[in-house]
Amino acid sequence: MIWLIFAILAPVIGGFVFGIERKVKARIQGRMGPPLMQPFYDFAKLMDKRPMMIHSLHALMGIMYFVAEWFALFVLFLGNDLLIAVFFHVLAVLALVIGASSVRSSYSALGALRELMHMISYEPFMVLMVVAFYLVSGSFNFKDILNSQAPIYQLPLVFLSFLLIIPMMLQKSPFDIAEAHQEIIGGPEIEYSGPFYEAIYTGKWIEYIYVFFFVFLFGGSNYILGSILVIFAFLFVNILDNSTARLDFRKMVKFSWVVLIPLAALNIILLALWR
Amino acid sequence: MGLFGKYRKKSPWILHYNTGGCNGCDIEILAALAPKYDIERFGALNKGNPKQADILLVTGPVTKNCKDVLRRLYLEMPEPKVVVAMGACAHGGGIFRNFYHVENGVDNIIPVDVWIPGCAPRVEALIDGIAEAIEIWQTKSKEKEYMRNHGEIYEKLGVNNDD
Ligand code: SF4
Repeated sequence: MIWLIFAILAPVIGGFVFGIERKVKARIQGRMGPPLMQPFYDFAKLMDKRPMMIHSLHALMGIMYFVAEWFALFVLFLGNDLLIAVFFHVLAVLALVIGASSVRSSYSALGALRELMHMISYEPFMVLMVVAFYLVSGSFNFKDILNSQAPIYQLPLVFLSFLLIIPMMLQKSPFDIAEAHQEIIGGPEIEYSGPFYEAIYTGKWIEYIYVFFFVFLFGGSNYILGSILVIFAFLFVNILDNSTARLDFRKMVKFSWVVLIPLAALNIILLALWR
Repeated sequence: MGLFGKYRKKSPWILHYNTGGCNGCDIEILAALAPKYDIERFGALNKGNPKQADILLVTGPVTKNCKDVLRRLYLEMPEPKVVVAMGACAHGGGIFRNFYHVENGVDNIIPVDVWIPGCAPRVEALIDGIAEAIEIWQTKSKEKEYMRNHGEIYEKLGVNNDD
Protein backbone atom coordinates (compact mmCIF):
# COMPACT_ATOMS: atom_id res chain seq x y z
CA MET A 1 0.00 0.00 0.00
CA ILE A 2 2.70 2.44 1.01
CA TRP A 3 4.56 1.66 -2.21
CA LEU A 4 1.44 2.41 -4.25
CA ILE A 5 1.17 5.83 -2.60
CA PHE A 6 4.85 6.35 -3.23
CA ALA A 7 4.39 5.50 -6.91
CA ILE A 8 1.42 7.86 -7.24
CA LEU A 9 3.30 10.70 -5.56
CA ALA A 10 6.45 10.07 -7.60
CA PRO A 11 6.22 13.25 -9.73
CA VAL A 12 5.85 15.41 -6.61
CA ILE A 13 8.76 13.78 -4.81
CA GLY A 14 10.84 13.87 -7.97
CA GLY A 15 10.09 17.58 -8.29
CA PHE A 16 11.44 18.16 -4.81
CA VAL A 17 14.52 16.13 -5.61
CA PHE A 18 15.04 18.24 -8.71
CA GLY A 19 14.59 21.43 -6.65
CA ILE A 20 17.14 20.23 -4.12
CA GLU A 21 19.47 19.41 -6.94
CA ARG A 22 19.27 22.89 -8.40
CA LYS A 23 19.89 24.32 -4.96
CA VAL A 24 22.90 22.07 -4.36
CA LYS A 25 24.30 22.91 -7.77
CA ALA A 26 23.95 26.64 -7.08
CA ARG A 27 25.66 26.29 -3.72
CA ILE A 28 28.54 24.42 -5.30
CA GLN A 29 28.94 27.34 -7.70
CA GLY A 30 28.74 29.87 -4.87
CA ARG A 31 25.27 31.19 -5.70
CA MET A 32 22.04 31.38 -3.71
CA GLY A 33 20.08 29.27 -6.12
CA PRO A 34 16.36 29.21 -6.90
CA PRO A 35 13.76 28.35 -4.25
CA LEU A 36 13.03 24.74 -3.49
CA MET A 37 9.62 24.94 -5.16
CA GLN A 38 11.10 26.23 -8.42
CA PRO A 39 10.34 23.08 -10.50
CA PHE A 40 6.66 23.41 -9.62
CA TYR A 41 6.62 27.08 -10.60
CA ASP A 42 8.16 26.06 -13.90
CA PHE A 43 5.50 23.38 -14.22
CA ALA A 44 2.69 25.93 -13.67
CA LYS A 45 4.22 28.37 -16.11
CA LEU A 46 4.74 25.78 -18.84
CA MET A 47 1.14 24.61 -18.49
CA ASP A 48 0.02 28.19 -19.07
CA LYS A 49 1.82 28.65 -22.38
CA ARG A 50 0.20 28.39 -25.77
CA PRO A 51 0.54 24.81 -27.07
CA MET A 52 2.54 24.74 -30.29
CA MET A 53 2.65 21.34 -31.94
CA ILE A 54 4.91 20.27 -34.75
CA HIS A 55 2.64 17.33 -35.51
CA SER A 56 0.47 15.14 -33.35
CA LEU A 57 2.79 12.11 -33.21
CA HIS A 58 5.60 14.29 -31.96
CA ALA A 59 3.44 15.74 -29.18
CA LEU A 60 2.02 12.32 -28.32
CA MET A 61 5.49 10.83 -27.96
CA GLY A 62 6.42 13.60 -25.53
CA ILE A 63 3.45 12.68 -23.35
CA MET A 64 4.17 9.01 -23.92
CA TYR A 65 7.63 9.48 -22.42
CA PHE A 66 6.09 10.80 -19.21
CA VAL A 67 3.42 8.08 -19.08
CA ALA A 68 5.86 5.25 -19.77
CA GLU A 69 8.31 6.50 -17.15
CA TRP A 70 5.53 6.60 -14.61
CA PHE A 71 4.31 3.20 -15.73
CA ALA A 72 7.77 1.75 -15.21
CA LEU A 73 7.67 3.04 -11.65
CA PHE A 74 4.25 1.47 -11.10
CA VAL A 75 5.51 -1.83 -12.47
CA LEU A 76 8.41 -1.61 -10.06
CA PHE A 77 6.41 -0.68 -6.98
CA LEU A 78 3.44 -2.99 -7.51
CA GLY A 79 5.70 -6.00 -7.02
CA ASN A 80 6.58 -7.09 -10.52
CA ASP A 81 9.99 -8.10 -11.74
CA LEU A 82 12.76 -5.55 -11.76
CA LEU A 83 13.57 -6.70 -15.27
CA ILE A 84 10.14 -5.70 -16.55
CA ALA A 85 10.56 -2.28 -14.99
CA VAL A 86 13.89 -1.93 -16.79
CA PHE A 87 12.23 -2.84 -20.07
CA PHE A 88 9.46 -0.30 -19.53
CA HIS A 89 12.11 2.30 -18.93
CA VAL A 90 13.58 1.38 -22.30
CA LEU A 91 10.12 1.92 -23.78
CA ALA A 92 9.98 5.39 -22.27
CA VAL A 93 13.33 6.39 -23.71
CA LEU A 94 12.33 4.91 -27.06
CA ALA A 95 9.22 7.10 -27.08
CA LEU A 96 11.49 10.11 -26.70
CA VAL A 97 13.71 8.87 -29.52
CA ILE A 98 10.80 8.24 -31.88
CA GLY A 99 9.33 11.65 -31.13
CA ALA A 100 12.64 13.40 -31.61
CA SER A 101 13.44 11.69 -34.89
CA SER A 102 10.00 12.31 -36.36
CA VAL A 103 10.61 16.02 -36.93
CA ARG A 104 12.75 17.64 -39.56
CA SER A 105 14.94 19.63 -37.19
CA SER A 106 18.47 18.34 -37.56
CA TYR A 107 19.28 19.12 -33.93
CA SER A 108 16.40 16.96 -32.85
CA ALA A 109 17.43 14.05 -35.06
CA LEU A 110 21.00 14.33 -33.83
CA GLY A 111 19.74 14.32 -30.27
CA ALA A 112 17.71 11.19 -30.96
CA LEU A 113 20.75 9.37 -32.29
CA ARG A 114 22.78 10.39 -29.30
CA GLU A 115 20.00 9.26 -26.99
CA LEU A 116 20.29 5.82 -28.61
CA MET A 117 24.01 5.91 -27.84
CA HIS A 118 23.10 6.58 -24.23
CA MET A 119 20.77 3.64 -24.30
CA ILE A 120 23.26 1.14 -25.66
CA SER A 121 25.73 2.22 -23.03
CA TYR A 122 23.54 1.90 -19.95
CA GLU A 123 20.81 -0.64 -20.65
CA PRO A 124 23.08 -3.77 -20.74
CA PHE A 125 24.43 -2.68 -17.41
CA MET A 126 20.94 -2.32 -15.96
CA VAL A 127 20.13 -5.90 -16.96
CA LEU A 128 23.40 -7.10 -15.44
CA MET A 129 22.61 -5.25 -12.25
CA VAL A 130 19.21 -6.91 -11.98
CA VAL A 131 20.91 -10.28 -12.49
CA ALA A 132 23.33 -9.40 -9.70
CA PHE A 133 20.41 -8.58 -7.41
CA TYR A 134 18.93 -11.95 -8.28
CA LEU A 135 22.13 -13.73 -7.34
CA VAL A 136 22.19 -12.05 -3.95
CA SER A 137 18.56 -12.28 -2.96
CA GLY A 138 17.20 -15.10 -5.12
CA SER A 139 14.32 -13.04 -6.43
CA PHE A 140 13.46 -10.43 -9.02
CA ASN A 141 10.97 -8.76 -6.71
CA PHE A 142 12.12 -5.58 -5.01
CA LYS A 143 10.41 -6.53 -1.73
CA ASP A 144 12.54 -9.66 -1.40
CA ILE A 145 15.64 -7.62 -2.12
CA LEU A 146 14.64 -5.14 0.57
CA ASN A 147 14.25 -8.05 2.99
CA SER A 148 17.55 -9.69 2.20
CA GLN A 149 20.96 -8.78 3.54
CA ALA A 150 22.43 -5.58 2.10
CA PRO A 151 23.61 -6.42 -1.46
CA ILE A 152 26.31 -3.75 -1.38
CA TYR A 153 28.60 -5.99 0.67
CA GLN A 154 28.53 -8.59 -2.06
CA LEU A 155 28.28 -6.25 -5.03
CA PRO A 156 30.74 -3.42 -4.39
CA LEU A 157 32.00 -3.32 -7.97
CA VAL A 158 28.47 -3.25 -9.35
CA PHE A 159 27.68 -0.32 -7.09
CA LEU A 160 30.83 1.46 -8.19
CA SER A 161 29.90 1.01 -11.83
CA PHE A 162 26.34 2.11 -11.16
CA LEU A 163 27.63 5.35 -9.64
CA LEU A 164 29.20 6.13 -13.01
CA ILE A 165 26.16 4.91 -14.94
CA ILE A 166 23.89 7.39 -13.14
CA PRO A 167 25.30 10.42 -15.00
CA MET A 168 24.52 8.63 -18.27
CA MET A 169 20.94 7.90 -17.25
CA LEU A 170 20.22 11.36 -15.87
CA GLN A 171 22.28 13.10 -18.56
CA LYS A 172 24.73 14.75 -16.22
CA SER A 173 27.93 16.40 -17.16
CA PRO A 174 30.65 14.02 -18.27
CA PHE A 175 28.03 12.08 -20.21
CA ASP A 176 25.34 14.66 -21.02
CA ILE A 177 25.79 13.93 -24.68
CA ALA A 178 22.17 13.79 -25.74
CA GLU A 179 21.15 17.13 -24.30
CA ALA A 180 24.25 19.15 -24.94
CA HIS A 181 22.89 22.54 -24.01
CA GLN A 182 25.56 24.54 -25.76
CA GLU A 183 25.64 22.68 -29.06
CA ILE A 184 22.37 20.95 -29.83
CA ILE A 185 20.33 22.94 -27.35
CA GLY A 186 18.56 20.18 -25.46
CA GLY A 187 18.79 17.50 -28.14
CA PRO A 188 15.64 15.38 -28.27
CA GLU A 189 13.51 17.93 -26.45
CA ILE A 190 14.42 20.92 -28.60
CA GLU A 191 11.18 21.01 -30.57
CA TYR A 192 8.86 20.58 -27.61
CA SER A 193 7.22 23.64 -26.14
CA GLY A 194 4.62 24.58 -23.57
CA PRO A 195 2.59 21.70 -22.09
CA PHE A 196 4.42 19.08 -24.15
CA TYR A 197 7.78 20.21 -22.90
CA GLU A 198 6.26 20.06 -19.45
CA ALA A 199 5.54 16.36 -19.94
CA ILE A 200 9.20 15.72 -20.70
CA TYR A 201 10.31 17.95 -17.84
CA THR A 202 8.19 15.95 -15.40
CA GLY A 203 9.29 12.66 -16.94
CA LYS A 204 12.82 13.62 -15.97
CA TRP A 205 11.78 14.02 -12.34
CA ILE A 206 10.30 10.54 -12.37
CA GLU A 207 13.53 9.23 -13.83
CA TYR A 208 15.30 10.62 -10.78
CA ILE A 209 13.08 8.55 -8.50
CA TYR A 210 13.58 5.50 -10.69
CA VAL A 211 17.37 5.77 -10.62
CA PHE A 212 17.76 6.61 -6.96
CA PHE A 213 15.43 3.79 -5.99
CA PHE A 214 17.89 1.37 -7.57
CA VAL A 215 20.59 2.95 -5.43
CA PHE A 216 18.35 2.47 -2.41
CA LEU A 217 17.99 -1.24 -3.23
CA PHE A 218 21.71 -1.68 -2.56
CA GLY A 219 21.01 -1.08 1.11
CA GLY A 220 18.87 -4.21 1.41
CA SER A 221 17.07 -4.63 4.70
CA ASN A 222 19.23 -1.91 6.23
CA TYR A 223 17.16 1.14 5.29
CA ILE A 224 19.55 3.58 6.96
CA LEU A 225 22.43 2.26 4.87
CA GLY A 226 20.21 2.59 1.80
CA SER A 227 19.43 6.22 2.59
CA ILE A 228 23.10 7.01 3.17
CA LEU A 229 23.92 5.42 -0.18
CA VAL A 230 21.24 7.51 -1.91
CA ILE A 231 22.53 10.76 -0.39
CA PHE A 232 26.10 9.82 -1.22
CA ALA A 233 25.18 8.98 -4.82
CA PHE A 234 23.22 12.24 -5.15
CA LEU A 235 26.09 14.39 -3.92
CA PHE A 236 28.65 12.43 -5.92
CA VAL A 237 26.69 12.85 -9.14
CA ASN A 238 26.24 16.57 -8.53
CA ILE A 239 29.89 17.19 -7.77
CA LEU A 240 30.86 15.18 -10.84
CA ASP A 241 28.36 17.17 -12.89
CA ASN A 242 29.82 20.48 -11.80
CA SER A 243 33.48 19.61 -12.14
CA THR A 244 33.72 17.89 -15.51
CA ALA A 245 33.28 18.79 -19.16
CA ARG A 246 31.40 16.85 -21.79
CA LEU A 247 32.99 13.82 -23.45
CA ASP A 248 32.72 12.47 -26.93
CA PHE A 249 29.95 9.90 -27.32
CA ARG A 250 32.44 7.27 -28.51
CA LYS A 251 34.30 7.66 -25.25
CA MET A 252 31.09 7.18 -23.32
CA VAL A 253 30.21 3.95 -25.12
CA LYS A 254 33.79 2.72 -24.87
CA PHE A 255 33.99 3.54 -21.18
CA SER A 256 30.75 1.76 -20.52
CA TRP A 257 31.53 -1.36 -22.53
CA VAL A 258 35.24 -1.66 -21.73
CA VAL A 259 35.30 -0.62 -18.09
CA LEU A 260 31.93 -0.58 -16.39
CA ILE A 261 30.20 -3.64 -17.82
CA PRO A 262 33.26 -5.96 -17.44
CA LEU A 263 33.66 -4.66 -13.88
CA ALA A 264 30.09 -5.56 -13.04
CA ALA A 265 30.42 -8.90 -14.86
CA LEU A 266 33.59 -9.70 -12.92
CA ASN A 267 31.77 -9.05 -9.68
CA ILE A 268 28.93 -11.33 -10.72
CA ILE A 269 31.28 -14.10 -11.88
CA LEU A 270 33.29 -13.99 -8.66
CA LEU A 271 30.10 -14.06 -6.64
CA ALA A 272 28.76 -17.04 -8.58
CA LEU A 273 32.06 -18.94 -8.23
CA TRP A 274 32.30 -18.18 -4.54
CA ARG A 275 28.84 -19.47 -3.87
CA MET B 1 -5.04 34.04 -16.51
CA GLY B 2 -6.07 30.77 -14.96
CA LEU B 3 -5.01 28.82 -11.96
CA PHE B 4 -1.52 28.30 -13.29
CA GLY B 5 -1.03 31.88 -14.42
CA LYS B 6 -0.41 33.11 -10.90
CA TYR B 7 2.93 31.37 -10.77
CA ARG B 8 3.99 32.68 -14.14
CA LYS B 9 6.07 35.47 -12.68
CA LYS B 10 8.22 33.04 -10.73
CA SER B 11 9.91 31.37 -13.64
CA PRO B 12 10.89 33.69 -16.48
CA TRP B 13 13.12 31.86 -18.94
CA ILE B 14 15.30 34.13 -20.97
CA LEU B 15 16.35 33.79 -24.58
CA HIS B 16 19.28 36.06 -25.28
CA TYR B 17 20.07 37.12 -28.81
CA ASN B 18 22.80 39.44 -29.97
CA THR B 19 22.01 41.04 -33.30
CA GLY B 20 25.46 42.44 -33.92
CA GLY B 21 26.41 44.59 -30.95
CA CYS B 22 29.84 44.88 -29.42
CA ASN B 23 29.38 42.17 -26.74
CA GLY B 24 29.45 44.77 -23.96
CA CYS B 25 25.81 44.09 -23.17
CA ASP B 26 26.27 40.33 -23.37
CA ILE B 27 28.96 40.46 -20.75
CA GLU B 28 26.59 42.33 -18.47
CA ILE B 29 23.99 39.62 -19.00
CA LEU B 30 26.51 36.95 -18.10
CA ALA B 31 27.45 38.98 -15.02
CA ALA B 32 23.80 38.94 -14.02
CA LEU B 33 23.78 35.14 -14.23
CA ALA B 34 27.08 34.79 -12.39
CA PRO B 35 27.36 34.42 -8.58
CA LYS B 36 27.37 38.10 -7.64
CA TYR B 37 23.94 39.04 -8.98
CA ASP B 38 22.57 35.54 -9.62
CA ILE B 39 19.22 36.12 -11.29
CA GLU B 40 18.57 32.39 -11.05
CA ARG B 41 17.35 33.25 -7.53
CA PHE B 42 14.20 34.52 -9.22
CA GLY B 43 13.87 31.41 -11.33
CA ALA B 44 15.31 32.95 -14.47
CA LEU B 45 17.19 30.53 -16.66
CA ASN B 46 19.18 31.29 -19.77
CA LYS B 47 17.56 28.97 -22.31
CA GLY B 48 19.05 28.70 -25.74
CA ASN B 49 15.79 27.52 -27.20
CA PRO B 50 13.08 29.94 -28.42
CA LYS B 51 10.37 27.31 -28.04
CA GLN B 52 10.85 27.15 -24.30
CA ALA B 53 11.67 30.80 -23.58
CA ASP B 54 9.43 33.58 -22.31
CA ILE B 55 11.54 36.72 -22.47
CA LEU B 56 13.42 37.65 -25.62
CA LEU B 57 16.40 39.76 -24.59
CA VAL B 58 17.82 41.51 -27.64
CA THR B 59 21.07 43.43 -27.66
CA GLY B 60 22.75 45.31 -30.43
CA PRO B 61 21.60 47.12 -33.57
CA VAL B 62 19.73 44.87 -35.94
CA THR B 63 22.07 44.18 -38.82
CA LYS B 64 20.51 43.29 -42.14
CA ASN B 65 21.72 39.69 -41.94
CA CYS B 66 20.21 39.19 -38.49
CA LYS B 67 16.83 40.65 -39.38
CA ASP B 68 15.14 37.44 -40.49
CA VAL B 69 16.67 35.41 -37.71
CA LEU B 70 15.29 37.86 -35.16
CA ARG B 71 11.84 37.60 -36.75
CA ARG B 72 11.98 33.84 -36.73
CA LEU B 73 13.01 33.71 -33.10
CA TYR B 74 10.12 36.00 -32.23
CA LEU B 75 7.66 33.88 -34.18
CA GLU B 76 8.90 30.62 -32.69
CA MET B 77 8.35 31.70 -29.12
CA PRO B 78 4.94 30.61 -27.84
CA GLU B 79 2.75 33.27 -26.26
CA PRO B 80 2.69 34.80 -23.68
CA LYS B 81 6.04 36.40 -24.36
CA VAL B 82 7.74 39.75 -23.88
CA VAL B 83 10.56 41.43 -25.71
CA VAL B 84 13.24 43.41 -23.88
CA ALA B 85 15.60 45.63 -25.83
CA MET B 86 18.85 46.23 -24.04
CA GLY B 87 21.42 48.93 -24.63
CA ALA B 88 21.67 52.05 -26.75
CA CYS B 89 22.22 50.00 -29.92
CA ALA B 90 18.94 48.20 -29.55
CA HIS B 91 17.09 51.49 -29.08
CA GLY B 92 18.00 53.29 -32.24
CA GLY B 93 21.32 52.06 -33.42
CA GLY B 94 23.51 53.70 -30.79
CA ILE B 95 27.01 54.18 -32.10
CA PHE B 96 26.04 52.21 -35.20
CA ARG B 97 23.15 54.52 -36.09
CA ASN B 98 22.54 55.03 -39.80
CA PHE B 99 25.33 52.75 -40.90
CA TYR B 100 24.82 51.07 -44.23
CA HIS B 101 24.27 47.65 -42.69
CA VAL B 102 21.93 48.25 -39.76
CA GLU B 103 18.19 48.60 -39.34
CA ASN B 104 18.43 51.09 -36.46
CA GLY B 105 16.93 49.35 -33.50
CA VAL B 106 14.84 46.36 -32.58
CA ASP B 107 11.61 48.29 -32.76
CA ASN B 108 11.85 48.43 -36.54
CA ILE B 109 11.56 44.65 -36.72
CA ILE B 110 9.52 43.35 -33.79
CA PRO B 111 7.38 45.05 -31.12
CA VAL B 112 9.31 45.84 -27.93
CA ASP B 113 7.80 45.91 -24.45
CA VAL B 114 10.63 47.12 -22.23
CA TRP B 115 13.62 49.30 -22.97
CA ILE B 116 16.77 49.18 -20.87
CA PRO B 117 18.86 52.35 -21.42
CA GLY B 118 22.62 52.65 -21.20
CA CYS B 119 25.78 51.69 -23.03
CA ALA B 120 26.40 49.21 -21.60
CA PRO B 121 23.50 49.11 -19.10
CA ARG B 122 24.48 48.24 -15.58
CA VAL B 123 23.40 44.91 -14.20
CA GLU B 124 21.03 46.66 -11.78
CA ALA B 125 19.30 48.29 -14.74
CA LEU B 126 19.05 44.90 -16.42
CA ILE B 127 17.44 43.35 -13.36
CA ASP B 128 15.03 46.28 -13.13
CA GLY B 129 14.15 45.84 -16.77
CA ILE B 130 13.53 42.12 -16.32
CA ALA B 131 11.31 42.83 -13.30
CA GLU B 132 9.32 45.31 -15.37
CA ALA B 133 9.09 42.80 -18.21
CA ILE B 134 7.73 40.19 -15.83
CA GLU B 135 5.01 42.61 -14.74
CA ILE B 136 3.99 43.23 -18.34
CA TRP B 137 4.17 39.50 -19.02
CA GLN B 138 1.75 38.83 -16.16
CA THR B 139 -0.94 40.84 -17.92
CA LYS B 140 -0.52 39.16 -21.30
CA SER B 141 -2.72 36.33 -22.45
CA LYS B 142 -2.24 33.16 -24.41
CA GLU B 143 -3.74 34.64 -27.57
CA LYS B 144 -1.63 35.05 -30.62
CA GLU B 145 0.08 38.40 -30.98
CA TYR B 146 0.81 39.89 -34.33
CA MET B 147 3.87 41.89 -35.00
CA ARG B 148 4.03 44.96 -37.16
CA ASN B 149 2.81 44.33 -40.75
CA HIS B 150 2.95 40.61 -40.23
CA GLY B 151 1.25 39.78 -43.54
CA GLU B 152 4.09 41.19 -45.53
CA ILE B 153 6.64 39.53 -43.32
CA TYR B 154 5.00 36.14 -43.61
CA GLU B 155 5.04 36.48 -47.35
CA LYS B 156 8.67 37.51 -47.39
CA LEU B 157 9.71 34.65 -45.14
CA GLY B 158 7.70 32.14 -47.14
CA VAL B 159 5.73 31.02 -44.10
CA ASN B 160 2.15 29.90 -44.59
CA ASN B 161 -0.23 31.92 -42.48
CA ASP B 162 -2.12 29.10 -40.87
CA ASP B 163 -5.06 30.93 -39.33
S1 SF4 C 1 24.73 49.26 -26.28
FE1 SF4 C 1 26.90 49.70 -26.05
S2 SF4 C 1 27.69 47.95 -24.90
FE2 SF4 C 1 25.70 47.33 -25.69
S3 SF4 C 1 26.13 46.31 -27.62
FE3 SF4 C 1 25.75 48.46 -28.10
S4 SF4 C 1 27.74 49.46 -28.13
FE4 SF4 C 1 27.98 47.46 -27.06
